[in-house]
Amino acid sequence: MALNKMPRHPLVIGAIGVVLFLGMTSVSAAPAPKEGSEPGDYTVIDGKVDQGTYDGYIAYTRSCMACHGPDGLGSSFAPSLIKRAQQRSFDEFARVIAGGLQIQPGKVMPSFAGDSYVLSNIENIYSYMQARGAEEVGRGRPKVIEQAKADKTAENNKESK
Amino acid sequence: MLKEMKYVIATIGLLAATTLQANENQLELQNNPELWATQLGNYQGNRYSKLDQINRDTINDLRPLWQFSTGVLRGHEGGPLYVGDGRLYIHTPFPNKVFALDLEDQGRIVWTYEPDQDPRVIPVMCCDTVNRGLAYADGRLFLGLANNTLVALDSESGELLWEASNGDHTKGESNTMSPLVVHDKVVMGISGGEFGVRGHMTAYNVESGERVWRGYSNGPDSDVLLDPQKTLMMGEPIGEADLGVSTWPEGEWKRGGGAPWGWVTYDPELDLIYYGSGNPGSWNPEQRTVDGEPADNKWAITVFARDPNTGEVKWVYQKVPFDEWDYDGVNENQLIDVEIDGKQRKGLAIIDRTGFGFLLDRETGELLVAEKFAPETNWASHYDMDTGRPVVNEEFSTFRQGVNVNTTDICPTAMGAKNMQPSAYSPETGLLYAGINRICMNYEPYETEYVAGQPYVGATLTMMPAPVQDEDNKGRMGSFIAWDPVKGEVVWETNERFAVWSGALATAGGLAFYGTLEGHVKAVNIDTGEEMWSFKTPSGIIGNINTFQHQGKQYLGVLSGVGGWAGIGLAAGLEDPEEGLGAVSAFAALEDYTELGGVLTVFALPDA
Ligand code: HEC
Repeated sequence: MALNKMPRHPLVIGAIGVVLFLGMTSVSAAPAPKEGSEPGDYTVIDGKVDQGTYDGYIAYTRSCMACHGPDGLGSSFAPSLIKRAQQRSFDEFARVIAGGLQIQPGKVMPSFAGDSYVLSNIENIYSYMQARGAEEVGRGRPKVIEQAKADKTAENNKESK
Repeated sequence: MLKEMKYVIATIGLLAATTLQANENQLELQNNPELWATQLGNYQGNRYSKLDQINRDTINDLRPLWQFSTGVLRGHEGGPLYVGDGRLYIHTPFPNKVFALDLEDQGRIVWTYEPDQDPRVIPVMCCDTVNRGLAYADGRLFLGLANNTLVALDSESGELLWEASNGDHTKGESNTMSPLVVHDKVVMGISGGEFGVRGHMTAYNVESGERVWRGYSNGPDSDVLLDPQKTLMMGEPIGEADLGVSTWPEGEWKRGGGAPWGWVTYDPELDLIYYGSGNPGSWNPEQRTVDGEPADNKWAITVFARDPNTGEVKWVYQKVPFDEWDYDGVNENQLIDVEIDGKQRKGLAIIDRTGFGFLLDRETGELLVAEKFAPETNWASHYDMDTGRPVVNEEFSTFRQGVNVNTTDICPTAMGAKNMQPSAYSPETGLLYAGINRICMNYEPYETEYVAGQPYVGATLTMMPAPVQDEDNKGRMGSFIAWDPVKGEVVWETNERFAVWSGALATAGGLAFYGTLEGHVKAVNIDTGEEMWSFKTPSGIIGNINTFQHQGKQYLGVLSGVGGWAGIGLAAGLEDPEEGLGAVSAFAALEDYTELGGVLTVFALPDA
């Protein structure tokens, strides 16, 4: 059984500020910090992932894959987000998603400031990319850890601290 | 009063005169073998040239004369037009620039047109910002911009003559297709099957840009422009009314896709246009059932034969009722005359997304042949020739396997065994030539919600190279084939490392041409497929190879510039089912072979 937990990063409030600033109307769409976890955290048990990381995969596939390629690997015109998530802090990562980016003409990263679904999944997408970068999760749609197992793991983690 | 009447009559007379001219001008141009006046070479979509200066004996001497950078990075589909005025007309992906280049002066820029478009259209283009090119008639160039604006330009000056709005990108609608000029009309479809748009084909007046008719791919018969008592399906009147509504769950037809974004062909004798409609809305088949059972989702993935004057539907043939694999039915309909069982038939041949090669009667829409050109095809065992319906293999039915179940090893992939890359047809050999994708997939549907302007997909997929018999070809993802549309057989095949995403060309010089994703232009012996010549352009080719003759010299022109769905799906390489986690893919990654950048390369023989 493989069990992994990412080292914790200090929570970056800045990114959420940026997101809110960029024309968001509904507060509920803000990426609510999940209790007890931080951006980039993920859990993998027997190749299965926690719900957030799974949601990150689905959100990525729905809204980002058409440019960033299958499973975060990059396309002819957009970079691999697996590599970028390793190089960028959550703050930087979230800032680009909310604000967009165009360094080279024609290679346009659109702003998702008006897309509450994407905004509420930025942490999850970041976690999915971290898990891919650490080679804990392979290509394709991951399976979700059954709830009972996940609770038990969380329990064990607490005890071990 | 009288005076006004006279004026009206005079303008009607004038319009009638130009009406005839527009059609005749395009017909006249395409009947001249020296020209390449429409993207597919002729109305029938044959991509065949009678020119033979470049032939099997001279091909060794073929070399590039000059190259021209478009200054645009992303995927370059379509190709140059040559209408006999000493210039080449080319276009680019978004921002959709148009260039008139002087053929006699190494591509000097005669004029440039660059529209001003809202860049917010870029994220609603599912598969790169591609565009399949210009249309021409009577001194006017037509281009469908990404943001759904159809523009008419003066070919002499590049000046904008008129523009017409064909859709709304904030609702997920966009355009990638090349319009077609028929009579006094220019017809244009729409893209956005991954954003839950409602597909349609629309005709505009060539003079004014005024909308003449619009026929939808779904909804009530009055919107589709069909008459169930008259419009034929498999040679018989459809009978039942409003199937475009009743074969969907409540209201789902309004986001029912069926976007016709591929090529339109035209038969001047029957006076009918032909095109195919795209996939039906969400990729999750469960969301398109009626009472929990598969429903036909009409008229998605359907070949339409319409009267170009009124838009009225003469016949329909639905290739895939109730799609479960995204077998988007837009591939070009090649109009070819064939002999079947000793009888001459007006045929319509399709090398389809589904892996099947179809032959239909283009007068009635009857299905004559349906055979697999990609032998790995397994989603259906065969077509029932009486009903015209596929016999679906339960094991690969993503609906039967269920939502959130990964249905594995389906062939072909959602990219199709052949995508939009247009095929060629040689009347000399009677064969079709086409670039093929040899890729399979795992497909897992999930429940998704419709939000206007956002992706409406509802399935995740992974792709892998199609299985092969022979170990040497393991991992190959493409091929180029010669297909006998009557016998339903592959005559020869050459293997390629990557999917072949470029259009084919067949010539009277005994050659067939295609481009590869690595960037090669290749010439093969049309009888055997043997490679006779190749040249590596600066980037992968997803455009089409066109040929024309100017002042006694035959030229070949091609846009290179990697991109499209191929550039997205194949950049990092495909999955190897046997590969361990984190292992470097055993299969080739496109990113190891090519980079972005649009370039036109023009070839000729040095001493011609
Ligand atoms: C329309 C295409 C498109 C879509 C859709 C898209 N991206 Fe991008 N993205 C790009 C391109 C192109 C770049 C590179 C921009 C540049 O460098 O000029 C980019 C850059 C980025 C970067 C910055 C990488 C770096 O260098 O730090 C991040 C982060 C990113 N995208 C995340 C996402 C996420 C998450 C989604 C989905 C919610 C998404 N993108 C959807 C095209 C897209």
